[in-house]
Amino acid sequence: MVLPKKLWRTPLDTEKISLPKAEITIQPDLCKGCDFCIEFCPRKVLEKSDQLNKRGIYPPKVADESKCTICGFCTAICPDFAIFITEKKCKEGCEDEK
Amino acid sequence: MTTEEAEVEPRIGVYVCHCGLNIAGTVDCEEVAEFASTLPNVVVAEDTRYACSDQGQETIKKDIKEHNLNRVVVASCSPRLHEPTFRKTCEEAGLNKYLFEMANIREHCSWVHLHDKKAATEKAKDLVRAAVAKVTLLEPAIESEVPITTSALIIGGGVAGIQAALDLADTGYKVYLVEKEPSIGGRMAQIDKTFPTMDCSICILAPKMSDVGHHPNVELLTNSEVQEVKGYIGNFKVKVLKKPRYVTDECSACNECSEVCPITAPNEFDVGLATRRAIYTPFAQAVPSTYIVDRDLCLNKEGIMACDKCIRACEREAIDFDMKPETLELEVGTIIVATGADVYDPSSLPNYGYTRYLNVITSLEFERLINAGGPSGGNLIRPSDKKIPESVAFIQCVGSRTDKGNQYCSNVCCMNTIKDSLLIKEHWPDVKIYVFYVDIRAFGKGFEDLYKRAKEEGAIFIRGLPAEVIEDRKTRNLWLIGENTLQKELYRVNVGMVVLSIGIEPRPGSDVIQRLFTLSRTPDGFFMEAHPKLRPVDTPTGGIFLAGCAESPKDIKDSVTQASAAAARAGILMAQGKVTVEAITPRPIPENCEFCGLCARVCPYNAILVDKERERVEVIEAACTGCGTCGAECSFDALHMRHFTNTQILAQIDALTETEADKKIIAFCCNWCAYAGADFAGVSRMQYPPNVRIIRTMCSGRVSPKFVEHAFSRGAGAVLVAGCHPGDCHYIDANLQTQKRVEKLWKKMERLGVDKERLQLLWASAAEGERVASKIREMQAKLDKLAPEEIEKAKGVFAGS
Repeated sequence: MVLPKKLWRTPLDTEKISLPKAEITIQPDLCKGCDFCIEFCPRKVLEKSDQLNKRGIYPPKVADESKCTICGFCTAICPDFAIFITEKKCKEGCEDEK
Repeated sequence: MTTEEAEVEPRIGVYVCHCGLNIAGTVDCEEVAEFASTLPNVVVAEDTRYACSDQGQETIKKDIKEHNLNRVVVASCSPRLHEPTFRKTCEEAGLNKYLFEMANIREHCSWVHLHDKKAATEKAKDLVRAAVAKVTLLEPAIESEVPITTSALIIGGGVAGIQAALDLADTGYKVYLVEKEPSIGGRMAQIDKTFPTMDCSICILAPKMSDVGHHPNVELLTNSEVQEVKGYIGNFKVKVLKKPRYVTDECSACNECSEVCPITAPNEFDVGLATRRAIYTPFAQAVPSTYIVDRDLCLNKEGIMACDKCIRACEREAIDFDMKPETLELEVGTIIVATGADVYDPSSLPNYGYTRYLNVITSLEFERLINAGGPSGGNLIRPSDKKIPESVAFIQCVGSRTDKGNQYCSNVCCMNTIKDSLLIKEHWPDVKIYVFYVDIRAFGKGFEDLYKRAKEEGAIFIRGLPAEVIEDRKTRNLWLIGENTLQKELYRVNVGMVVLSIGIEPRPGSDVIQRLFTLSRTPDGFFMEAHPKLRPVDTPTGGIFLAGCAESPKDIKDSVTQASAAAARAGILMAQGKVTVEAITPRPIPENCEFCGLCARVCPYNAILVDKERERVEVIEAACTGCGTCGAECSFDALHMRHFTNTQILAQIDALTETEADKKIIAFCCNWCAYAGADFAGVSRMQYPPNVRIIRTMCSGRVSPKFVEHAFSRGAGAVLVAGCHPGDCHYIDANLQTQKRVEKLWKKMERLGVDKERLQLLWASAAEGERVASKIREMQAKLDKLAPEEIEKAKGVFAGS
């Protein structure tokens, strides 16, 4: 079971595996700009927005929603309850997911 | 030596072996025996057809008794082969075995100078003269005994490691089975069916895996690696790093964690054809069945727990991200190396298009595809459209028997392809099968029958590998273009899928294993056995054995056979319960000692204690391995290197330089690499100039500068010091001292105006016979141009050495 020199093929079961899709909700005006969510997101889903919020800081924005695994770490560490994730209600492929 | 023994006049018997025509075909053995009888203290000198035969040994024994011999010389093959045989003969006749010496006139003489009978005979005489000179000075010795730890370490949990572990554990010994992957099983677990019986591979392996997993005498250490090995035969101390699985034994392998894990990656076990999660088990039958977290993929990095989905899913609370790596210190008496092999990567052969064309797969990928438990549920689908192809072509010898890959035959690929073609025919009889081959090697029991069956089932065998594989962009079918070398015509065949029958390669980490256990490797990269015929599972390092593909490419049956053999060999040692340590350790001579401590500093094993204040020197015999680098470092003659004493080696040099010294190369070769390399040159009949005279030392570190200078003072034309490659030294790093000493000598020679080219340093492994031979050729060429004044000059400046 040693790693072959490179695993270059797309696994044959790729289409069968459907992971839950995330829907990220950010409430920009609650954010005070600690950037914890950006820094600690394990998949680097978030980045800094270029729009100022009411508090005069740049809140996070979603860079790539498809990379989110709904681990919920951003929600857990946000001191201002400014971000939460829900599972996307999608048409296909998500039915068999819990 | 006791005074009583010292007073006894040496009475030497010399036996010159014909070895059939192996020696006598080149060397005039009668003449050599005749010559030996003229040497001082020689009482009996005879030539004998086969000294090692019962009859030959009986003659020696009879002579020892009748002629009251107290020293014996046998001039025959390498001492690495038959020294133990003759030592036993001497012992049986009541003679201490350390009073025996061999002259290697086969590997180092008759076999390498096949076409120069006169020079070979002269060389044989010289070698006998040196052996007689040494034997005269030899001293009887009693070997000390050390107990053997009755436990074994097996590295590698493939079928070879599993079999060896079971055999030893069933015998009653404690076994540690170390596997670096999360599960044992190895390559055999990946394969669908086995040839020639078409048994289901995992079905016959899984029970063995389970047995070894539950055996009370086996401690299974998966996800673990050997980090350090110390000690010697019978008493190894091994450090094993056990990496954390992050899942405890509470795991019931229910797969709930894996289902919720959000991270996917290609599964290595399925050669990337299926997906796994960051928390996973490589395959259903894995042993241990405990899951494992791949921390490189997992969202939870050191100190940050971002995701807890698996923890929440696990009812048994078996997931523990706080697990730490552990270093285990094991004490074992024997070690079996069963580290297996890798497969050839065909992406380096662009003409076959692997990785460019989706429908070109390797034979290992094929095994996963055809396996009912594999990613396609046993359906032979082609990756491009997931349909069953109408035709399949196998290309043989991919990466084997070629200059572009490996030179050797990988042993299993022919039969594997024949088995694969039958598997296809069994499930999809209409699929057309082509096999493009160089030679079909169906040499084993039941192999030819299987080959016949494949042909009867309709597989078409075409001799001649395709020059190129070209993809049809629309259909993704493949064109194979090449020459049918039997019919001398070009072919152009269109198939739906191509299977590359890839060869077997040594593991990429073999160099690490080699260094850890001080093993040797053949030029192919596989580990070398102590003797290819008679000790095929032993390594040159005592107490360490080989099994499976680590030694050479082999099929399952051969791996299992070899594993049982290795287990038996290890078992013999452990059953004896003790091992004798060769009496080649140094003895301090306090009256000569200046207590400078240099010997202690160069000892690779810290086996010498020097107390300057109390003026005491002590050698810890159990730790000493007898390399002799301390003896070479001592400039006061204060260490008596038993069996390789200064006086003995100087006497050998004297004997070898007695006649025509200026035409000779005096070579000092270490027992493990350079001497064995010269033996290998002999076995391979590599021819080189006959003027070289080899003196064996255990390590090149034994070669004192004094020896080199003495050789030059005796008028030797050139001197060669040869040892193991740096890093491969059998005495950790004693050969670094060799290098220092030779470099110092070079400087001295330059200073004294002696051509420093006359002293050469060579690193050659036991497999590098050609390296030894070409070095001798090179030195001979230089020697031919050497002016007589140069010899005289060196004689002068080194006089008195």
